[in-house]
Amino acid sequence: MWRFLGTRIATGALTIWVTTVLVTLLIHAVPGDPVQIMYAQSQGTTPEQIEEVRRSLGLDRSIPVQYLMFMERLFQGDLGNTIRGGQPVLDVILERLPNTLVLACAAMLIAILIGVPIGFLAAYREGSLIDTGLMILAIGGISMPHFWLGLMLLFLFALELGWLPVSGNGPLNLILPAMTLGLSNAAIFARLTRSSMIDVMQQDFVQTAYAKGLPKSLVLRRHVLRAGLLPVVTMMGLQFAFMMGGAIVVENIFSWNGVGRMAVEAIFQRDYPVIQGFILTFSIVVVVVAISIDALYAVLDPRIRRS
Amino acid sequence: MTGRQFPSRAAAAALAISAALAAPAHSADIVWARYGDIDSLDPHRATSTLSLQVWSLIYDTLLATDADGNPVPHVAKSWTSNEAGTEYTFTLEDGVMCHDGTPLDANDVKYTIDAAFDEATPSVTKGSWGPITGAEVIDPLTIKLTLETPFVALIPFLADSFSSIICDTNGDGFGTTTAIGSGPWKLVSWTKGDRIVLEKNPDYTNFGKLADNPGAPYEDGLIISVVPEPQARFAALMTGEVHVAEPPFDDVPSILDSGDLDIVVAENTGQNVFWEFAVHRPPFNDRRARLAVAHATDAASAINLIYGDLSIPENCPVSRGVFGNDQDFCAQYRPAYDPEKSKALLAELGYGVDNPLETALLVWTGGNRQKLAEVFQAQLAEVGIDASIEIMDIGSLNARVRQENETTEGDTGSMDMMTWSWYDPDILHALWHTPGAYRGYTSPELDAILAETRVLTDPEARKAKVQEAFKYLLENAIHVPLYTPGWEWVFAVRPEVEGFKVAPFVYPIFSDVKIEG
Repeated sequence: MWRFLGTRIATGALTIWVTTVLVTLLIHAVPGDPVQIMYAQSQGTTPEQIEEVRRSLGLDRSIPVQYLMFMERLFQGDLGNTIRGGQPVLDVILERLPNTLVLACAAMLIAILIGVPIGFLAAYREGSLIDTGLMILAIGGISMPHFWLGLMLLFLFALELGWLPVSGNGPLNLILPAMTLGLSNAAIFARLTRSSMIDVMQQDFVQTAYAKGLPKSLVLRRHVLRAGLLPVVTMMGLQFAFMMGGAIVVENIFSWNGVGRMAVEAIFQRDYPVIQGFILTFSIVVVVVAISIDALYAVLDPRIRRS
Repeated sequence: MTGRQFPSRAAAAALAISAALAAPAHSADIVWARYGDIDSLDPHRATSTLSLQVWSLIYDTLLATDADGNPVPHVAKSWTSNEAGTEYTFTLEDGVMCHDGTPLDANDVKYTIDAAFDEATPSVTKGSWGPITGAEVIDPLTIKLTLETPFVALIPFLADSFSSIICDTNGDGFGTTTAIGSGPWKLVSWTKGDRIVLEKNPDYTNFGKLADNPGAPYEDGLIISVVPEPQARFAALMTGEVHVAEPPFDDVPSILDSGDLDIVVAENTGQNVFWEFAVHRPPFNDRRARLAVAHATDAASAINLIYGDLSIPENCPVSRGVFGNDQDFCAQYRPAYDPEKSKALLAELGYGVDNPLETALLVWTGGNRQKLAEVFQAQLAEVGIDASIEIMDIGSLNARVRQENETTEGDTGSMDMMTWSWYDPDILHALWHTPGAYRGYTSPELDAILAETRVLTDPEARKAKVQEAFKYLLENAIHVPLYTPGWEWVFAVRPEVEGFKVAPFVYPIFSDVKIEG
């Protein structure tokens, strides 16, 4: 198990390291002079000041030197300052990261609470009309784009029914964005749970349990559910990354003040230090969550635990 | 910053989680939703319209702008300058108070100017302050500014929120957690990316800002919230969560029809949308090609088709509300809509409907400008110009236009629908005086005219020179004005809100606002 986790942590560290390299190269990937683009419509900024920005970003140095400068600052916990407003990037990100994590966790909870029972029910009634109906619903859910579903929920629950607020960051405000993000992911969980359960149900140990005369409900609870949920747990790690990505769209629709919305603004404003900080933070969160899920998986799956 | 700060950051992050679950705003406040947030509360650290609009509520300026865009006295009740235009002396109103209860006097003005020219951290708009070499406090109510050379655009600059007076009691946290000014609204809090909460300044006296109210705002609070999605802003307006917001463009006609909301259109925004060209290679290095585009463009009917009466054609290179603008004067020189003339010019250059001039038409995203570009594309096609539209964000457009101008050989040059807003014709100096913001058209003759527009202190003489620049730019089809305003100028307002108006250069005013019921 430790070897399994060790490999995972090493892969995670490698992922983050590669991200730091890409993040340094990012600023050079766009055509045109990045500093000119950043200061595009600042008529009062003098050429000397623009030169100063170029220098402070290290753009007057070679790319390897820029990378070393970036890493040196990074190890000191310094992600630089925002171009717009001159505030520390780390502060700007840490102020908003909790909001995104709250949203992603709430959405994950909704996705699991809705997706797993539906998938289980469909597997239990495999081949029935209920199964077909639920799976059509799930395909619908997967195909629905976040921005469309979000706007529909917004119009229904906020505008027509007036039950929930349109925008802001209160607890009630969390419901709609979490539903939007959660529902489409619930569909993915439902499909995965179904196929995994069906797979497990056909395995020898389940047949043995039946042969021993155990009632169906007990077999499902004790044997099928536990084994069938393992792939779902693995999927959670991957889905969390998608949730973080989906949050970028959903946060914009519902004015949820998270890092996703910050990233969109930063991209439009060409605020490179913020974009770099966002990508790095994003990758760290995804890697940490993925490793945690793998650890959970290792604990749950005796085959890995004992290896 | 050191690594040891991390634990406290973790605590801050935990606090932010609980803050994320905090209750929404008090319902009696005015709520104004915008698509984005300010960059900073420090007027020396940002240049965005979103930031400027908020500064204009928190801070005062020496001068203010009247409804036509002219500078008028405000905190400075009068001013004089020496003959050479290198010294300005301002007399301040007595009894103006900063939000912390200290008097606002000449020392605060000096503090603001010194901060703008600070060696280590100069203002990002340092260049717009002009060649100021010193700010001298003569007495608490008199301040003298000394300039290295005359700079006429200083006066309108001092009426703009770029020059907001910062009280000298602002200390640590200025720009993020504190912002002490003397304006009609006091800062309560700023949650970055989410909202700015303001409360009324009960001691406010309005000397020159464009509001009927001579004193403190009528309503207690003003919340400026960020709602990026236009449809969400619209929904929030309909539910009453928000009182004022920019509506989705395509919904404006139905809003007007339904009568659920009022529509307020900002006037004298100074926003100028215009054609410009990559002039250092064919075809637009030839004046005739530029004129052909100008004569082929029927801006009035195109704008009417896309914006109805929300926007209007503009004849001058600087728009209504800006010094020197004169529709009749510019109409004499702006190439008029005349497709036949356009075809004749293209024929001279060897182009025609069967052998069209192929070019790229660069446009920036948003505000339905892509639809407008399609109308223009159709107009150009009629005379034999085949323009392929390329849509990009404003940052990319600026970089691309400059790149196009720096390219002297190769593919045919592009044209673009550029947009600028400034409170003074000095913008033409930035755009068209050597080397030019986009490295576009320049000439010694135009340089000489533009240089003089900066130093002529007599308003009539300056106006004549500014108009000479207009004439040059229009006759040579260098800067072909199309329309004004062009972005973020439409406000939807709930019916219970009374007294909302927008001052020139898109500064919304909330001092007169009363919410009924």
